[in-house]
Amino acid sequence: MEMDPTNKFWWFAGLSILLALLFFTGIAMLAWQQLAPGQQTVVLEVIKEHFIYFFMAMVVLLTAVGFALDGIFHSFILPLERLPEEVELVYTVNPRHRIKREGSKAVNQLIDNLNEWADRHEAFEAAVEKRVQSARQEVEKEKNILAVIMSELPEGVLICNREGQILFFNRQAQKFLTRREEGLPPNATQTAPRDKPPFAYFGLGRSVFEVIDRNLISHAWDEIAEKLERQDSSAAAYFVLLAPDGRHIRTEMVPVLNQQRQFSGFILILNDLSSKMESDGHADLLLQSLSGGLRTAVAGVRAASETMMEFPEIPPETRQEFTRIIYDEALRISRLLGQHSRERIERPRSQWPLIEMRVGTVLEKIAVKARHLLHLRLIRDNYEKDLQLSADSYSFSLAILFLMHQAHEAFGIEEFHCGVERRSGCVHFDLIWQGPSLRMETVHLWAEKVLSLQDQGLPLTLGEVIHYHQAEIWPYADANDARASGVRLTLPAIQLAEKHLPRNLAIIPDSRPEFYDFDLFNQPGQLPEIDSLPLADLTYTVFDTETTGLDPRSDEIISIGAVRIVNNRLLSRDRFEQLVNPRRALRWESVQIHGIRDEMLADQPTIDEVLPRFHKFSENTIMVAHNAAFDMRMLQLKETATGIRFINPVLDTMLLSAIVHPAQENHNLMTIAQRLGIDVSGRHTAIGDALATAEMFLKLMPLLAKKGVHTLQEARQASEKTYYARLKY
Amino acid sequence: MTAKPSQTAPPPRRKILIADHETGTTVPLRFLMEQSGYEVRVATTGEEAIRVATAYKPDLVLLEAMIANPDGFETCQLIRENPNLAATRIIFVTAMIREVDIAKGMALGADGYIKKPFANAEIMDHVRKLLELTDGDGSNQ
Repeated sequence: MEMDPTNKFWWFAGLSILLALLFFTGIAMLAWQQLAPGQQTVVLEVIKEHFIYFFMAMVVLLTAVGFALDGIFHSFILPLERLPEEVELVYTVNPRHRIKREGSKAVNQLIDNLNEWADRHEAFEAAVEKRVQSARQEVEKEKNILAVIMSELPEGVLICNREGQILFFNRQAQKFLTRREEGLPPNATQTAPRDKPPFAYFGLGRSVFEVIDRNLISHAWDEIAEKLERQDSSAAAYFVLLAPDGRHIRTEMVPVLNQQRQFSGFILILNDLSSKMESDGHADLLLQSLSGGLRTAVAGVRAASETMMEFPEIPPETRQEFTRIIYDEALRISRLLGQHSRERIERPRSQWPLIEMRVGTVLEKIAVKARHLLHLRLIRDNYEKDLQLSADSYSFSLAILFLMHQAHEAFGIEEFHCGVERRSGCVHFDLIWQGPSLRMETVHLWAEKVLSLQDQGLPLTLGEVIHYHQAEIWPYADANDARASGVRLTLPAIQLAEKHLPRNLAIIPDSRPEFYDFDLFNQPGQLPEIDSLPLADLTYTVFDTETTGLDPRSDEIISIGAVRIVNNRLLSRDRFEQLVNPRRALRWESVQIHGIRDEMLADQPTIDEVLPRFHKFSENTIMVAHNAAFDMRMLQLKETATGIRFINPVLDTMLLSAIVHPAQENHNLMTIAQRLGIDVSGRHTAIGDALATAEMFLKLMPLLAKKGVHTLQEARQASEKTYYARLKY
Repeated sequence: MTAKPSQTAPPPRRKILIADHETGTTVPLRFLMEQSGYEVRVATTGEEAIRVATAYKPDLVLLEAMIANPDGFETCQLIRENPNLAATRIIFVTAMIREVDIAKGMALGADGYIKKPFANAEIMDHVRKLLELTDGDGSNQ
């Protein structure tokens, strides 16, 4: 336990005085023994006689010692005792706290030093805080823009990390995945007949598995992993999700990969099928849903009228009966057509988005699950591996597993064979076992059961899943083998109405899109006679390229813009401006950036015509570009194809800016232009960027001179230094 | 009107069972079949169809897959399983027209599948051909 400073002082004082007394007594005793007995009596006499003086001397001595102790204590010990706490105060909770001066001169000096340190610390803290604040604001702003865009999407979007924690969701996603009667934990007895999922929380940082069955996600996850392994261009997985309010949500799961192509999360894109149906109101869907009733009614009309025409001498009562039928059926048709389409679409047939899957893949997964989950064997002996099946992967697999489970329960079957074949517009999926033949009744019974297997399941019956697949199921019978029994599931082998476009893989980009894979500092055209010239005396070609994308190895130049700087003057009329036909379609994202569309490039010359001209334009000048490594790399990669080689010395305004403003972290074109007060109006056209770069370069030159950078060689050497400095980042 | 086969060849009247719950179908079909000289019974549920079929031993059943209790497909299977009805032909006449429905119907032992709405001539043609076939079989035995 820490002692109170005053108590400490008294202890300290008491102990010191006691020690002093002991010391004096000791000396007195020693002296006493040295004295002869006669002398002792004399001394005693003297003490007795002058006791008052001795006593006063003693008191004075003790007081003096006391004062001295107090002085030492207050000027050295106490202030030093306090210091650690005060310093701690400054660097933990209150950077504004300063230590009060007290104590000796040396201690005061120490306190002054500490206070000075505190001043600096505070300023530093404030600067850091400010930067954090502005960075946060920037992020916040971008986040808001993103959120606005996301909330306007008709699809629900949900982004999760690898652990399934929700990092982002939009309003639609929330609408789809949460119960309408939000906030009221539902009463179990009052809710719908079929077991609705329990009330779940939904929000940032919560687990997505609260609202989406973990099995669904892991099933999709496996599918994605498998597709990635196969280098499939569309590594997405699809499944149908049942929203808490019973709506069917088509879900697309797209992986998010990091630079090393490892999973770092996933995106779920949710589409409400039911509302899509309503808004689409497609005539064919309507007709499909009506077809049962409509066909029957038309059949009646046709049969009756045809018969009447065929047999004109019908007895009158029969004729009357037929007329009645025609009238009734016609009424039925009008009623069907007159009704609101939406009311009539009870369960439109093509409701579920079915995905084409390779039979081989599906069967393999089912076999694995059957082994692990049910301890049943599925032998795959008769199928074309590459046959495509249109199905919802998860529910289809579950349906097959469910059938196996039922057969096991009912007949003790342990081993199943399966075969898949395509015949006349249908795909037959046979699940066969050795045992008693299966009754249609039994199949009907199974179809009414809810699909659930241990922890896996859907709040749908087998029949419903079959229905959504537009499939049919019936007992399998083999004419040649009476012992063989099983079920046959027949799916339509239709072409899917909605072709799924492969979505680009989401790969988190490198944070710094600066290109350093071109050696700017060792161009063959760097000649000593040019190197020693002042920067202001040289001729420059300041240029910029627009490209189809950011990868020099696979992307193409679609536009080159350049201007010349001669004698420290920007010759904006002496310009090179040319669109280039990349002989390929532009990607939508890049069109967003540069605004150049395919049709604008169709009649333009190709790169092998343009490069010689540009080479001529830039001959014997210094090439200047912003982030020059990228543009130079683009030019360099065309070297073998065109035979044109750019050997010019190169300067990069990005690096030059970093020399001038080493403290600034951001050296992109926009930021530097703002810093230097340059108007950038034609941003993201090659010529506009080239002009901005040129102006920037002109403004950088005097600033470089102040830093002692005068000649081309100096500029290049300084660039090289900052380049390596920036690389270390 | 043209002469009907029934009038020329009276004795072995072929028996047809129409299993359909829609009077719009059964009434004209029945008339048509009777005019062609067939003996006709009508059933409106699966259960009734099986009962009538067992007792009546029709040569042909015109079966709507959409009938209930049990449905047409199951009715078909049950008729097929009855050894006494081995000679009975089954034609689905139905509004269920998907490929998978047809595949299912044929797999369960139907001899034909006619989609609604049908032409009278189409259905008569089918019936006549099927019954001629059995006729031929019968005369061979």
